[in-house]
Amino acid sequence: MPSGALLFQSIILGLLLGGLYALLAAGLTLYFGIMRVVMIAHSAFLILAAYLAWWTSTELGIDPLLSMVVTVPLFFAAGVLLQRGLLSRLRPVTLTMMSVLITFAIALMIEGLLGYAFSGTQRRIQLSYGTASLELFGARVAVVKLIAFGLAAVSLAGLYVLMKRTQFGWALRATIQHRDAARLVGIDTERTAGFGFGLGLATAAVGGTALSLDTTIYPSLHWHWIGPLMAIIVVGGLGSVAGAAAAALLLGLAQSLLQIPMGATWAQTVFYVALFATLAIRPQGFFGGRLAQRF
Amino acid sequence: MRSPARRTTWAVALSATLLLAACGGGDEEGQSSDDPIVVGISLPLTGDFSEPGKGVQEGYEAWAKTTNDKGGLLGRQVELKILDDQSNADRVVADYEQLIGSDQVDLVVGPFSTRLVVPSARVAQEYNMLFVEPAGAAAEVFNQGFKNLFYAAPAVADDHYNHLAEYLLALPAGQKPTTVAYAAMDDPFAQGTAYGLKKKLEAGGVKTVVDEVYPPNTTDFGSIAAKIASAKPDMVVGGSQYQDGVNLIVALQQLNYQPKLAAFSTAPTSPEFAKAIGNKTAGILSPTGYSQDAPYPSNKEFVEKFTAQFGKAPEEDQANGYTTGQVVAAAVEAAGCAEQGECQQKLIDWLHGNQVETVVGPLSWDATGKPQGAHMIQQWVGNDIKIVLPAEAKEADLVYPKPAW
Repeated sequence: MPSGALLFQSIILGLLLGGLYALLAAGLTLYFGIMRVVMIAHSAFLILAAYLAWWTSTELGIDPLLSMVVTVPLFFAAGVLLQRGLLSRLRPVTLTMMSVLITFAIALMIEGLLGYAFSGTQRRIQLSYGTASLELFGARVAVVKLIAFGLAAVSLAGLYVLMKRTQFGWALRATIQHRDAARLVGIDTERTAGFGFGLGLATAAVGGTALSLDTTIYPSLHWHWIGPLMAIIVVGGLGSVAGAAAAALLLGLAQSLLQIPMGATWAQTVFYVALFATLAIRPQGFFGGRLAQRF
Repeated sequence: MRSPARRTTWAVALSATLLLAACGGGDEEGQSSDDPIVVGISLPLTGDFSEPGKGVQEGYEAWAKTTNDKGGLLGRQVELKILDDQSNADRVVADYEQLIGSDQVDLVVGPFSTRLVVPSARVAQEYNMLFVEPAGAAAEVFNQGFKNLFYAAPAVADDHYNHLAEYLLALPAGQKPTTVAYAAMDDPFAQGTAYGLKKKLEAGGVKTVVDEVYPPNTTDFGSIAAKIASAKPDMVVGGSQYQDGVNLIVALQQLNYQPKLAAFSTAPTSPEFAKAIGNKTAGILSPTGYSQDAPYPSNKEFVEKFTAQFGKAPEEDQANGYTTGQVVAAAVEAAGCAEQGECQQKLIDWLHGNQVETVVGPLSWDATGKPQGAHMIQQWVGNDIKIVLPAEAKEADLVYPKPAW
């Protein structure tokens, strides 16, 4: 039986990890909602953002968080271009299938370019507060993990307000829910979808920066991330940002706690067990999302 | 996949033999003493292992140059014949068939990595050739029943920490660590290092309180670190490669866990390491197969000559290639011959019975070709990593308990 202190520490670590997962998965579920697109390259963009943060920190000597001033708009523009230039040109019948292939190719290109530009050497941002931690009722909370969690909370809250309170958010949600009906009431669904895609990729810029604070990065790292993130958005209900966030917190916590009795190897399988269970019992996801039913 | 390729190589070997039989005769005894000694090598110069492959190549080239500058072997110049196997196990077999069968090289030495060493050693065995190899530390290399193979490095993975185990078990009862946590990557090499130490410490009565194995794709070490920190062991041992070692150390530091001793394989000897963990390296130990600062007689010459030749100091891969050359050279000098045929058995027999002085220290082998040594242990002292064990090679004293990180 694990001690209470270890249990409490694991819960804190699990919640922090889950928060990061939620941020990393947010864009992925958004793309699917907007266009029924499976975006394999999302995690590659995360690693790209992480590399840019690392580069900012080592070459320019400024805090890696500042890299977001450039990467967020840059990724937003890249997302709009990607959607307008490539994905919107796919035939609707084969869209989901072809989007997997195209974004797979993009992921490989990003990985190759990262290897070319920064070599395969594994990198880690050197921060003065990298190993600093705060004490909370006997448990330790690492400052970098707290910052990553904070970034996740702020950007997800921002996303929520944007989706619920602004005209663009209404248009985006209408586009997600029923594209034809949205067009009937005068929404330019093409443009909205493009901006929505950009928004998804902008979350990858924030997510990648958050990731870079406490991870050793290398060009092929994104393959380790795409599987768990895909599982999270299916469990959360494809297309639902709130659902993905809930699933991410739950799975992060489960992974962290299961590591105590089962060890790291088996704890990782929690994502795939949850994925299979979702597909078998409730394919539309456990936390909302009407989309998967139609899919 | 395998059998057609195998058949092709056999066909090639057979036709090579026929050709030789056809045009041979009378050629055999005409070895003039000015002929160079040709050493056949296949290396992964492209593909998965191209980085270490090129490193080993530099080691071989440095050895050939140093040897030739001193007048060669048995008064003959050394010539390397290097083929690229593209990190492909079928290709490596064809390469050695070609080198031994049709190119009639005088000696062969090994390629890089276990995956390529095993098939190529088999070819060498079929031709009764001596096979000294610079890489291939996994157990499977030594349980194939090879009689011609020698691994030219101080120790296999399980024996990397032997000097540290000896040191710790010799400490007086009050100081000896009593509890240890192990975390190892699910990888034969990385796990081998940690479990080699675990076996010896457990036999010496040191208790294992945490024993975690994680898959190679693990990126989050928070939970593993939490488990270790909550058990508060005297010592933590990481069977790590690179990123996992770095991430685990940082995660432990974030939890403010201060062990009396911390030992991690591979990661701490990497040039990137100190920067990656923000210079909080105080007292971290690591086994190493090669150090530029090691006091072995030939090492100084190797570092100087290598640096002059390539404009950089040698690392472990380069040292392994060079060591392989030194081992073969010692056997050739002792047996007084270097050609295919009976000479090869003389070389093999000599190596089984003798010790060779190399840049990684004195080497000797058991019947399976497994080296009988242990790795040096290095420790981070200040901003530098220094050899602390064994006593005869040390640059500084081992600091135990280690300072806080």
